[in-house]
Amino acid sequence: MKRLHRRTVLRGAGGVALALPFLDAMRPNKALAQNAPPRRVMFVFKANGNEHATRFKTAGVTDYELGEFLEPLEPYRKEMLLLNGIDKFHGKVPGLERADAHQQGGAGLAPWKSGSGSFPIGGVDRTIGYVEGPSADFVLGERVLAANPTVKHRHLVYRVGGFGNNIWNVHSHGGPVGKQNPITPEVDPFKAYARIFSFKPLDPAAELALRRQFEKRKSGIDLVRDDGKSLKARLGSADQRKLEQHLQSIADIERSLQQPGAGAVGAGCKPVTQGATFDAVNDKNHAMAGALFFKLSAMAFACDLTRVVNFAWGGNTNGRVYDNLGIAEGHHDISHNSDAAAFAKIRTINRYLWTQSIKLHEELKAIPEGDGTVWDNTLVVHWNELGQGDKHSTDNDLVILTGGAQKHFQMGRLLEIAKKSSFSDMLVSVFHYMGFTDLTTFGDPRMGTNKPVPGLTA
Amino acid sequence: MQFTHSRLRGFGASALFLISACSGVVGEGDGNGNSSGGGSNGGGSSGTGPIDGLADPDALLKSAQCKQPNPGAAPMRRLSNAEYGNVVGDLLKLPADASRIANAFLQETESLGFRNQAELLAVQSVVADQYMKAAEEMSAKVATNAAQLVNCAGLAASACGAKFIGDFGTRAFRRPLTTAEKTRYQASFDKAVASFDLSAGIEWTVNAMLQSPNFLYRPEFGDGKPSSYEMASRLSFLFWQSMPDEELFAAAAADKLQTPAQVRAQAERLLTDPRSDRSIEFYRQWLDTDKLPGLKRDAKVFPNLPSDMTTLFAKETDAFARDLVFGGEGTFEALMAAPYTYVNDALAKHYGIPGTFGPEFKRVPTDFSAGVLTQAGYLTVHDKPTRTSIVLRGVKLRTDVMCQLVPAPPNDVSLNLEALGGDLTQKERLALHRKDAACASCHELIDPLGLSFENFDAVGRVRANDEFGRPIDVSSEISLSTDVDGAVNGPRDIGTRFAKSDQIRDCYVTQNFRFFFGRDFNDDDNCSLARISKAFRDSGYNLKSMLLAMTEADTFLYHGLAQ
Repeated sequence: MKRLHRRTVLRGAGGVALALPFLDAMRPNKALAQNAPPRRVMFVFKANGNEHATRFKTAGVTDYELGEFLEPLEPYRKEMLLLNGIDKFHGKVPGLERADAHQQGGAGLAPWKSGSGSFPIGGVDRTIGYVEGPSADFVLGERVLAANPTVKHRHLVYRVGGFGNNIWNVHSHGGPVGKQNPITPEVDPFKAYARIFSFKPLDPAAELALRRQFEKRKSGIDLVRDDGKSLKARLGSADQRKLEQHLQSIADIERSLQQPGAGAVGAGCKPVTQGATFDAVNDKNHAMAGALFFKLSAMAFACDLTRVVNFAWGGNTNGRVYDNLGIAEGHHDISHNSDAAAFAKIRTINRYLWTQSIKLHEELKAIPEGDGTVWDNTLVVHWNELGQGDKHSTDNDLVILTGGAQKHFQMGRLLEIAKKSSFSDMLVSVFHYMGFTDLTTFGDPRMGTNKPVPGLTA
Repeated sequence: MQFTHSRLRGFGASALFLISACSGVVGEGDGNGNSSGGGSNGGGSSGTGPIDGLADPDALLKSAQCKQPNPGAAPMRRLSNAEYGNVVGDLLKLPADASRIANAFLQETESLGFRNQAELLAVQSVVADQYMKAAEEMSAKVATNAAQLVNCAGLAASACGAKFIGDFGTRAFRRPLTTAEKTRYQASFDKAVASFDLSAGIEWTVNAMLQSPNFLYRPEFGDGKPSSYEMASRLSFLFWQSMPDEELFAAAAADKLQTPAQVRAQAERLLTDPRSDRSIEFYRQWLDTDKLPGLKRDAKVFPNLPSDMTTLFAKETDAFARDLVFGGEGTFEALMAAPYTYVNDALAKHYGIPGTFGPEFKRVPTDFSAGVLTQAGYLTVHDKPTRTSIVLRGVKLRTDVMCQLVPAPPNDVSLNLEALGGDLTQKERLALHRKDAACASCHELIDPLGLSFENFDAVGRVRANDEFGRPIDVSSEISLSTDVDGAVNGPRDIGTRFAKSDQIRDCYVTQNFRFFFGRDFNDDDNCSLARISKAFRDSGYNLKSMLLAMTEADTFLYHGLAQ
């Protein structure tokens, strides 16, 4: 294998150095790896709520006992912070400005009022729309990009399951405030990997072909940008916004093709072993798709391709049939029932999803970084659209923070939030962890107390 | 001029009352109850407000309001995935590759059941990336056989480029290129030839054009009226979901797509072309048969299903819609109540219909069909893995076929139906459930409709007994509509009544408006809706005539103000 030679670095129109694609440009640079590893955050979503009463067998800040469906988390007791009783504060927003609990709850990362016009089942005298503002993963990613020229991707948005992109199925939003602008998640981990990773040994014989392919790409990008700029000048303001977003996407692609600079690519940055391919949107491959998304998310952190990932085990009101657990009905249907048998199934499903979710922890711990692993420099925020499904509650959520998170949080505790802080307050805490301490509120101020959740940090 | 006796306005008022009752809100909501969409995202609410254009089309069209063209909004439309596949296939003459690529695209953002709504079809980073990869692949493929795209015999490379950029560019951007554009593309072409070879020039040009906003959107600059090139695209995209053909381009070049008669003549031609089949995408998205691939059924409850069941269901509705609109009766009545469906051998076996049909779908009379309302794909996509769903079938009918709003369940109300008695049937449980005042007002909108279709099981077969082995009683009573209220006895009874209902026909018109114009209607569209509605009525509710009439609407013939 051979390192990329200087002469293959070309100048983009904006004077930006572009690297030939498909080369091993992400190979760790020993000199650069001396930089302190950056902080990252990954959001992991589950649908349909759980069961308030059985989250914990016994309470207690440090001597709590995990309930049945949380038991898979026991090995991480010292590395997690459980926030019980987080309230999404939807009650503080008038009914006319929000959608139903599934939609509004599932838009927890984007705590804005909802628009209308997209779904003919609604609240009061209107259809439901998407939320009208950006999600935390998007805004965090924007800030990371602004502060770190070498990070290539704002955020990665992944969802297991390919069932359309409607108000229930998207968890990431691009804003700006006042605009419905849902971000389409990637649903195929193989394609997602191919999009952002470019490990390939440089075969000198293939260099001409690569160069040809690269110059074609670069010329295409330049023409598309110029076409976009001239078109934009001729459009009305609403269409101009659309073009503006398109041009930003072109800039995003250009950014991702840049030469690595003084980034934080550590020794752990290596190709991911993806294993045999499978149909990622086929429901029977649900767990494998999730596991592979975890693998590539962890590696995207290690290679400093991004510092923010928004991952979802399906959409809100997820109706997946967990027949692998011997359950014949859909998850969402079960979650609306209050009888003992239904809750037993909800616990079974939640426990199963926890056993799948902690695979992310293992992936993060498996990649060395600095004196430790990527896990030490990562925060994972496990969240849910609802507190409990049979009542559509969003005022008694369980949010679980895991990861080393550079010791920013005082882990190893169960905190009873008792509805005193909101989900968006928790997001403010995440912004602070990521270094953006200027921010005191995120989202509609009515949905928070407009300060971080007290008592979380070390 | 206001029409206070609007059919749907009357309904809107009652919906308002209901919503207040079932969400525990005292008062009348925000009280504005209008459908002035336009808002940030497709706006407009689904049938909750007045649709003046449908109330009394004759009177409205004669009124001052419709004396001047009122085109309404015209947000710039991005190609939907289906359109992308069609356009790239037609442009490069590589339909199989184009549709393979488009089918693998991430699904578009959905709004009001459709995946082609202008406000929500953005090009985000991941989408731009998929367009880039698609363009790179397709351009590499066509460059290997560039002679098929351009004849450069006797031309120097640069002149060949100029010719190709001019000809291919006009087809790709669906209008002639500006001088600045030609200069840009020529520079890229020349550079590719200088660095590599002639085929690289072709390849780079195709690659960039397929990613250009001029290709991926349908921008319009007409001042009050679409240019002839813009009209060519409006026509081809409406009927073919694709780019114009040579004849449309020729008409555009001669600027002969300006008068309503010129437009009408082309519209009629396009409708007789086999490509107009592509417009049945409307039925897939309206009836949700495009959502069938995710369908899952419990093998214990439904053993021995055909492995390709969902494909069979989708093809049944496709075949029905295609023949209905372009070959058969072509009436709204048949859409709602046709006593026949389409099967092949595999589907006939599943339904228990005797006879031999072969692998292709053929029309077969049945004693159970009521147009699309009883087709398996449409019904079962709203069912559950183990059973039918009276509620979801009812919601689908009330919202997307009747165009009424159904409120969401109120927060913090127990949703638990099972607690009402484990040994009760779904129908009995729902009946008890409606005794709860908090549930009743909304579920009156839903359950009686769903109950009428209980004689179809969750895999689309006729049945006499429900999941509990008890005889099914499909008798029901519809309420809270404008003109289909009253006792009904099963699907065909409902279909027959719907077929003659102004509310249901109006809803059909508005759903077509949304899909084909890529946006929700608002108050500015009253005259457009009136025009379509009147033509629909005057044709005896002929579906093809209604499609044609869409090209006579102000919003089609004229150009709205840029927003």
